[in-house]
Amino acid sequence: MKPAAFDYHRPAGTAEAVRLLSDLGDDAKVIAGGQSLLPIMNMRLAEPAHLVDVTGIAELRQTTVDASGARYGATTTHMRFEYQLVPDVTGGLLSRMAAGIGYQAIRNRGTVGGSLAHSDPSAEWPTVMAALDAAVHVLSVRGMRRVPVRDLLLGFFSTALEPDELIVDVEVGRLPASTRWGVCKTARKPGEFAESLAVALMEHDATPRIRQPRLWLGAAADTPVRLAGTERLVEGHDVDAVTADDLVVPIAADLGADPGAGDPAARYVLHLHAVTVHRALRAVHEEVSDE
Amino acid sequence: MNEVTVHLTVQHQPRTMIIPARTTLADLLRDHLGLTGTHLGCEQGVCGACTVLLDDLPVRACLTLAAACEGAEVITVEGLEGPDAERLRACFAEQGALQCGFCTPGMLLAGYYLVRGRQPLSREEVCQAMSGNICRCTGYNAIVRAIEAAISQGIEAETAPAQTVPRSSGAPAAGTEE
Ligand SMILES: Cc1cc2nc3c(=O)[nH]c(=O)nc-3n(C[C@H](O)[C@H](O)[C@H](O)COP(=O)(O)OP(=O)(O)OC[C@H]3O[C@@H](n4cnc5c(N)ncnc54)[C@H](O)[C@@H]3O)c2cc1C
Ligand code: FES
Ligand code: FES
Repeated sequence: MKPAAFDYHRPAGTAEAVRLLSDLGDDAKVIAGGQSLLPIMNMRLAEPAHLVDVTGIAELRQTTVDASGARYGATTTHMRFEYQLVPDVTGGLLSRMAAGIGYQAIRNRGTVGGSLAHSDPSAEWPTVMAALDAAVHVLSVRGMRRVPVRDLLLGFFSTALEPDELIVDVEVGRLPASTRWGVCKTARKPGEFAESLAVALMEHDATPRIRQPRLWLGAAADTPVRLAGTERLVEGHDVDAVTADDLVVPIAADLGADPGAGDPAARYVLHLHAVTVHRALRAVHEEVSDE
Repeated sequence: MNEVTVHLTVQHQPRTMIIPARTTLADLLRDHLGLTGTHLGCEQGVCGACTVLLDDLPVRACLTLAAACEGAEVITVEGLEGPDAERLRACFAEQGALQCGFCTPGMLLAGYYLVRGRQPLSREEVCQAMSGNICRCTGYNAIVRAIEAAISQGIEAETAPAQTVPRSSGAPAAGTEE
């Protein structure tokens, strides 16, 4: 289907954009890559009266880097992360995550700011940015504020953004050289949204021991979940000594789910998460031993 | 402001279009310019039939507002030219990589992007890279073979002429085609 009629605005700067958003109120929607908003509009699940297209704003495409990390402009496309056309301050983690999003044609237009504002818990950016404790800088006519991604994401398609607020950039801290990462996405086919999405961060160790793990899981609840109990369970263990089965009970506890559920579909989902987290953990050590 | 004016080039030809704001790039091409080679299957970004090149990169024309294409260069299947396009079309024909042809424009555009990349890809990598284009007829094998063959031919064409160009002829250096 086709989108319903709307008025289109293409501001040249952020000040003009937030002025428009403030003046137009609830009837206006920001559009960036359109890779989430346009499918919804084509299906007439959303019929905004005004679209404010922010892809003409040069400052939203800029990246600044310093010793502490980077600030990626909100309209930086997935493709630019994938091919490291913007510096990757996480030792390849951002590039790896971006490459897993949808298809090339989607990655060529979809943006990091749009993905965070959309807040789909199965999506790549919300989970990895929460794991990295990234923050967004958000502008409105009332000024700029900084919102940690962990506070931004409130639920399925729901964020702490006011309707007239614009994400300007995403601040990501530099990963220390001692920190290693591993990721795993489980999906029916390449390019689909994840059925399970795990990001593992830990401190480098010459041994296969798991040190200071930080484990995040997407596609499991209405926002990305930190697997704090699972982290405690695997801490100090040899990665080879941990099986996917070992992870089912602690992951269930972290998700508030029942590992002994009678429903086989629910048990399957838990097992899928356990396998995905297990593979992410192993991926950390594979990266390390590759060197 | 329900109507917008967009300046863009389509197949290298400059155009100024006055269109309703809700017009997608796919509808601009099909309904306003008569370029019906760009197909619309799902209009949700899933099937890939509407794939076109926007500033040299494959995008979904169904998920791109024409209004957002100010200053952009668009190439559709009708305008896909040059040695890589010829190679790809020949390989599609040799392999029988189409039946009804509905998916073919998108397959060609997505495949062209891979051929032009001059990167050797495994069969698995070609399948992955083409996973955003759905075909209801062929079962994909012939499409994958055609793209694999076109990629190899593109890489060969880039490396082979170096040996055959006589030193004195002043012919273009290896790797420059056309
Ligand atoms: C077929 C298909 C497969 C996909 N697969 C995946 C996948 O596997 N993983 C994945 O993570 N994503 C996937 N996506 C979604 C894609 O990554 C989108 O690009 C992304 O979710 C939204 O980014 P966008 O720039 O396109 O945002 P838009 O669609 O333009 O906007 C999305 C929402 O964010 C708001 N918004 C956008 N920019 C801003 C801003 N700067 N400030 C405030 N609000 C803003 C909009 O108002 C809207 O509500 C897929 C999409 C499609 C069509
Ligand atoms: S019509 Fe655009 S992806 Fe299907
Ligand atoms: S040839 Fe019919 S859909 Fe591909």
